[in-house]
Amino acid sequence: MKKYVTRRVFMGLLTIFVVFTINFIIIRLAPGDPISTIMGKDNDDPILRTALEEKYGFDKPMITQYAIYLKNALTGDLGISIIYNKEVMAMITERIVPTLLLVLTAAILAVIIGTLMGMYAAKNEGSKIDVIFSGAAYIFNSMPAFWLGLILIIIFSSVLGLLPSYGMINTRDAHTGFDYILDVIVHMVLPVCTLVLVEIPIYFRIAKSSILQVTNEDFIVTLRATGMSERKIFNKYILRNAILPTITIFGISLAYLITGVALIETVFAWPGTGSLMLTAINQRDYPTLMGIYLIMSISVAVVMVLVDIVYATFDPRIRF
Amino acid sequence: MNQLLEIKDFSVTYVNKSKKVYAVKNVNLKINKGDSLGIVGESGSGKSTLAMALLRLLPEKNTQITGKANFIGKDLVQLNQKELKNIRWNELAVVFQKSMNALSPVHRIGPQIEDIYRVHKPNASKEEIFSRITYLLRLVNLSERVYTLYPHELSGGMLQRVSIAISLVHNPKLLIMDEATTALDVVTQGQILDEIVKMEQTLDVTRIMITHDISVVAASCNKIAVMYAGEFMEIGYVKDVLKNPKHPYTRGLLSSFPSLKGEKLKLTGISGYLPNLSVKQEGCIFAPRCQQATEKCKQEKPLGVEMNENTVWCHLYSSGGELINEDQKPVYKD
Repeated sequence: MKKYVTRRVFMGLLTIFVVFTINFIIIRLAPGDPISTIMGKDNDDPILRTALEEKYGFDKPMITQYAIYLKNALTGDLGISIIYNKEVMAMITERIVPTLLLVLTAAILAVIIGTLMGMYAAKNEGSKIDVIFSGAAYIFNSMPAFWLGLILIIIFSSVLGLLPSYGMINTRDAHTGFDYILDVIVHMVLPVCTLVLVEIPIYFRIAKSSILQVTNEDFIVTLRATGMSERKIFNKYILRNAILPTITIFGISLAYLITGVALIETVFAWPGTGSLMLTAINQRDYPTLMGIYLIMSISVAVVMVLVDIVYATFDPRIRF
Repeated sequence: MNQLLEIKDFSVTYVNKSKKVYAVKNVNLKINKGDSLGIVGESGSGKSTLAMALLRLLPEKNTQITGKANFIGKDLVQLNQKELKNIRWNELAVVFQKSMNALSPVHRIGPQIEDIYRVHKPNASKEEIFSRITYLLRLVNLSERVYTLYPHELSGGMLQRVSIAISLVHNPKLLIMDEATTALDVVTQGQILDEIVKMEQTLDVTRIMITHDISVVAASCNKIAVMYAGEFMEIGYVKDVLKNPKHPYTRGLLSSFPSLKGEKLKLTGISGYLPNLSVKQEGCIFAPRCQQATEKCKQEKPLGVEMNENTVWCHLYSSGGELINEDQKPVYKD
């Protein structure tokens, strides 16, 4: 097990390094450059251009730029945003917390609710509730998340006026202490609901099909033949075996959410990394973009390593 | 009373919306204490269905079981869930076809057996369970080490032994082995059969062995029941039935196995296929494939004919057990 964990961690680090390098190259291959954005459309003063290029180090060959960037990144210095003129590291730390708050809350809620629904549906296969759950799962699974977010805003904010539609806190009415937490929770309801509704069907279907499959395994028939109670068989043997695919899907889905939440953050004006990333892409803000990608790849790698370790504790067969 | 299990007019029917499949039809069978009965037949003849029905492991939603199965004074067909629970594994244990999958892959073997042990002895101490399990593991020639291993760390033959050990946890009176050695190579199969026979001498257990391999029955059983399309064709002592098969189907089945000794003969099979079991058939179920079938065979179900403790269901024999027509001595030609 120790060897396995070490290997997974090492693989994670390697992944981050590779992603880091590929990002560095891809961003610079894309057309457009940040200098033009700073200088503006009509201004094409060669002296200013050279000065700016020198300031940000774009005059050096790409390999040198890469070496410098890698060296700085290792010490935690991700450079200075070309557009905002602020330290990238500070900008990201400020915004990564809301993103992770949103993503983790949604992912954990979705995995719990979806799996419970799947368990119920599998136990009562063919019942009315199973049919309703499965039908709803199809509908929500085929909905684009950002559209669902907009519809929720229309229903709960515009028409019913129950919930705030944007931001993380009420800027006009600053709260402290417990009220602050409550304020954040109220603001989280809609974006979290959107993500949860879109994620539930995945966990629902995985849990249901996996439980049904395990229920038909030979060892379950053997356990039934021993006279063991159905409850014990389900809680101890079926669940433990059926939960394995859910763990895998949780890892994949969480990684997808961390990077894919940008659109939802935009819909709800959530002050996370998503909106920062979208502006950075539009304005070719290389340092910011690189920084966000780096943090995201680290988050994804950490999630993957954790999921792999959790999986290995559940399934002895893959501890190689 | 020496009788352990008596099955009377036992039928199993699979039902779904559009049709019924008569998998086992009105079978009668008696098993005495200490017997080892081999049930043989081709695939789809209802051997496993019979076993699963006796164990009441078929989904109740889409199966109908009728008839009686008296097992030490209780009718297995009528038992409610609670009575069933008490009988399971205490009196009636089973080893399944695919023992490779007979254990949960994510739990250690020892604790799984502990759980099974605790089903009927919930207050057993850890030492008591451990000594019982290690005793059983030794009985099937496995080391104690197996206790802490996961199923994927064992070979197929070892898992088979574990399954057999598990089936013996509570000293069952009747042990059903459903193709328990089919997936193994012949060498391992031979070893395990030897062990089973030896075990039976020490533990007082009666065994039903379901297989399509007659040699398994010959090596490990004293009685044989030949099954075809959900009905018994012939039941009797192995030495009688294998040497002198009475029923044309048994003859056909035996002539499809090569013999180790004697003249090299061309193997013959039985032409035709299993009948469609969703259609109820008049007369003897084997008649359409039987070369000696008469008009009577096609119209009337044969009754069991007793011949020195052996029974055969065939119109070729009179109720006294003699051939009705000497010319019709059962033969099998291609």
